[in-house]
Amino acid sequence: MSRSLLPLVLALAFALPAHAESDEGAPPASARLALAVADAIRGAPAEAPVALCLSGGSAELRRAFGTLLAARLSAMNLGPVVLDVPPERAEAAAREQGARSLARLTLDVEGGELVARGDVLGTWVNFWSGRTPTRPPKPAAAVAEGVEADAAVLALAAVGTPSSGTPGPGPQQRRPLRLLGAVFARLETPLGALAAGDLDGDGRDEVAALTEHEVVVFGADGRVLARRELEGAPAVATTREAFGALAVLTGPPRLAAWSTRYARGEVLVLDKAKGTLRPSGTLDAAPLGTAERGAFVPGQTVFAPEVRLADGRTLTVPAPFGTASFASPRMLFVHADGTASLYTRPASAPAKVSGLGAGSALGDLDGDGVPELLTTSPQLQPTPDALRVFSLTSDAPLAHEPLWQGALPPGRALYVVTADLDGDKRREVLVGSWKPDGTSELFLLRQGAP
Amino acid sequence: MKGDTRRAGPRPGSTGTLFRLRQGDSVMIRSALAGLVLLSSAPALAASRPRYGGELRVAHAGPPEIGEPALADTPMEAALLGLLTRPVCRVDANGQVHATLARELTRPVPQALRVAMPSAASATALARAWTRLSSTESPSPYRALLYPLRGEGRQVTATGATLDLALAFPWPDLERSLCHPALATPPSPASGPFSAAGRGVLEAQSAWPEGRPYLDRLALTATDERGLTRLWAARQVQVELGTPPDNDTLTGAALYATYLAFSPRKVPADFRQAVESAIDREDLTRLFVKGPAVPMANLLPPALMPQAPKARPGTPPAGATRKVTLAYDAALADQRAVAERIQVKLHDQGYTVALEPQSRAALRSRQAKGDFELMLNAFLLPPIPGPALAVVLEAGGRRDLLGVELPPIGALTDAGARDARSRERALALAPSVPLIPLYAQGLALRAAPEVTGLMLDAQGLPVLEGAWLAPVEATGGGGRP
Repeated sequence: MSRSLLPLVLALAFALPAHAESDEGAPPASARLALAVADAIRGAPAEAPVALCLSGGSAELRRAFGTLLAARLSAMNLGPVVLDVPPERAEAAAREQGARSLARLTLDVEGGELVARGDVLGTWVNFWSGRTPTRPPKPAAAVAEGVEADAAVLALAAVGTPSSGTPGPGPQQRRPLRLLGAVFARLETPLGALAAGDLDGDGRDEVAALTEHEVVVFGADGRVLARRELEGAPAVATTREAFGALAVLTGPPRLAAWSTRYARGEVLVLDKAKGTLRPSGTLDAAPLGTAERGAFVPGQTVFAPEVRLADGRTLTVPAPFGTASFASPRMLFVHADGTASLYTRPASAPAKVSGLGAGSALGDLDGDGVPELLTTSPQLQPTPDALRVFSLTSDAPLAHEPLWQGALPPGRALYVVTADLDGDKRREVLVGSWKPDGTSELFLLRQGAP
Repeated sequence: MKGDTRRAGPRPGSTGTLFRLRQGDSVMIRSALAGLVLLSSAPALAASRPRYGGELRVAHAGPPEIGEPALADTPMEAALLGLLTRPVCRVDANGQVHATLARELTRPVPQALRVAMPSAASATALARAWTRLSSTESPSPYRALLYPLRGEGRQVTATGATLDLALAFPWPDLERSLCHPALATPPSPASGPFSAAGRGVLEAQSAWPEGRPYLDRLALTATDERGLTRLWAARQVQVELGTPPDNDTLTGAALYATYLAFSPRKVPADFRQAVESAIDREDLTRLFVKGPAVPMANLLPPALMPQAPKARPGTPPAGATRKVTLAYDAALADQRAVAERIQVKLHDQGYTVALEPQSRAALRSRQAKGDFELMLNAFLLPPIPGPALAVVLEAGGRRDLLGVELPPIGALTDAGARDARSRERALALAPSVPLIPLYAQGLALRAAPEVTGLMLDAQGLPVLEGAWLAPVEATGGGGRP
């Protein structure tokens, strides 16, 4: 199998079948958009045969959408023909193929939506025009349709993105960043912590979400793999907001979860076949990372400054922190005032960074072997909130232009993690937000074709 | 965002629990009430989370000392007492129920509610407080909120840290009824989000079951209206409670309803007609009632049911001059003004009205015994029509109607249908309840720009434990004189 086709196969294997099995039975975003666009073309009103010319997005997304749209138009007896030519040649190509109508559409994934914009025009040339390619009065219509994107769309849009170089030590080639986003999953209660890691040993990460009283594990397509209500004695001093610590432990893979509603945390094992999370122990320290441990400040949404590192040593961070992220050997601790302590090595003095949001993480998105700093808006009520990705190659990362930034859906984005959901060695970004209606949303940002 | 994303809903096949409400959990319920969220419009550098710490300076026009919850039922008193003691839950402005003093409210079966308290002591104190509402020495109209319980809530007992409440008939609004401030326990060190720590100083209760307040402490100053104005102008306070309403104030739902109660056996049969023809509620409210107030023509206030315009009846035929006594709450200046106005107006109708200021406890006792001719009665009604109707019927001496009216309301599973039926019954029952509705009041407050996250609950009371102080550099100085 050719190397370039591998990501597409992976994307389809891990995204599309999952949707087909979805409990909710909702069609994928591309199918919904195809339906909406087909209706718009029919309403133009287009005359069969209809030629389709698609641009924008990745080639795989264009092909997949073209197939679905052609199927819809065919069902409407509009005789579709998909053209594989650039838009500027589409009109001539449509006439050459004998099409009576032409739909020229540009696909894009923006703001969590899959959108198609373009026009529908007639290709029939009046006999009296001679060789001049005049247009008929109809069909003539503008098309602008959009649907909420999903993980499958992001997977298709991501195909074609340059992959990182050969894994291993030493500097690697940096690839440009372009993140495309879609809603991954929703929770009915506020999110308290978010984590990602390979919980079933299949080489792909799962996403775990902690609410006040529950842990939910999602698969790569956003479907719930397992969920478990937390148990145990209530905490003596709890927080008004949902808050906690959640981490994926290694060897064997387990999930460590501790909500501030409870006096102790729990260690859980995912049984994917049974769709359960089985308790396998309790926690007396808050799981900040795979092996890093901390303690809650009672009643507050921050952790105490003392952190026990993976090697057993204790690190004292300059101030209590609400967010911690570890990308060995770097460590990031975000404080309540929007500053952060960034350690390049555990033994080094921390660099003070300002202007970070509560949703912050370290993760190598561009594949150069050095993690980037991902952070949300530092404002209390940003409208909209935004995710920014900064390079950590300089001493003052936020003093430089971000490598990428983009708006997030409405809500307070408080949690950010990176994950390799499909095992392609490229990390996706998950942002956890509180919505104004008291629910939560996980928003997936996947690297898309430039 | 539109579309069809997956929602992680309740786990299929999980326990038989039909309803579960825990700390911070919420159950979506409808609400016809307007709530107001005070959020600073200025961007605050707070890394998207509320900040902990600081002292909030609060001035209020309420009394310096406040009694027990069942008697501290003016909006101001309920707001102040609510800092020190809370019922088991609160209803937010969106109608969601949040457990507060209780750790968890669950319905193991539809006809029973289990209240899990933080300790056996707090459970016992709660049971005692609820039982006391029905006691003969201090009967309270708020006992009607417990009427749907088996035994009409006269005997509530705790088992360890749990109260198991069995319902006598279906009553889906029980949880929201239990959120009424009058059902709080008397203040104790752990009964509210704050605890007294010296004169006018309240410290945050770090072990408050709903979660520690964001603020470290409150500094309270009791003053009068002029004092409020002076303190605000001098920027000496950050929150004012009980300020006169204007464009910059935030006003809670007007649920403190005042009625003219009469004893049908002691006044002529046409007394209601005489009052209705003599009293103009609009004038009475505008000229004699302080604070945010609205005229109330029905048994339930405008916040709970629309008030259709009612034609004033004609003056009844003149009869012999009657002498009657009108008792009113001596602690409320506007009740005194209203009582004097009624005195004047009824004089024109042939009534010589003697005014009798009384303590609230004495008023409640006499009201329960029927020992009065006329009385100004005021109650803080719950923000849901059904439970509010129950309180009004109890206060009007028509406890006999509770067993007839409440079960059909509770039998309706749809919340909107229950509300609608409660309103219908309030209209239908009005002539048979010896209460003449007069006006309803709310609480107005003002907050400085740096006070963020301050909300009013569905009862119209401020939730100060949810407020925090935004960093000074992010708030600017707008909104202050």
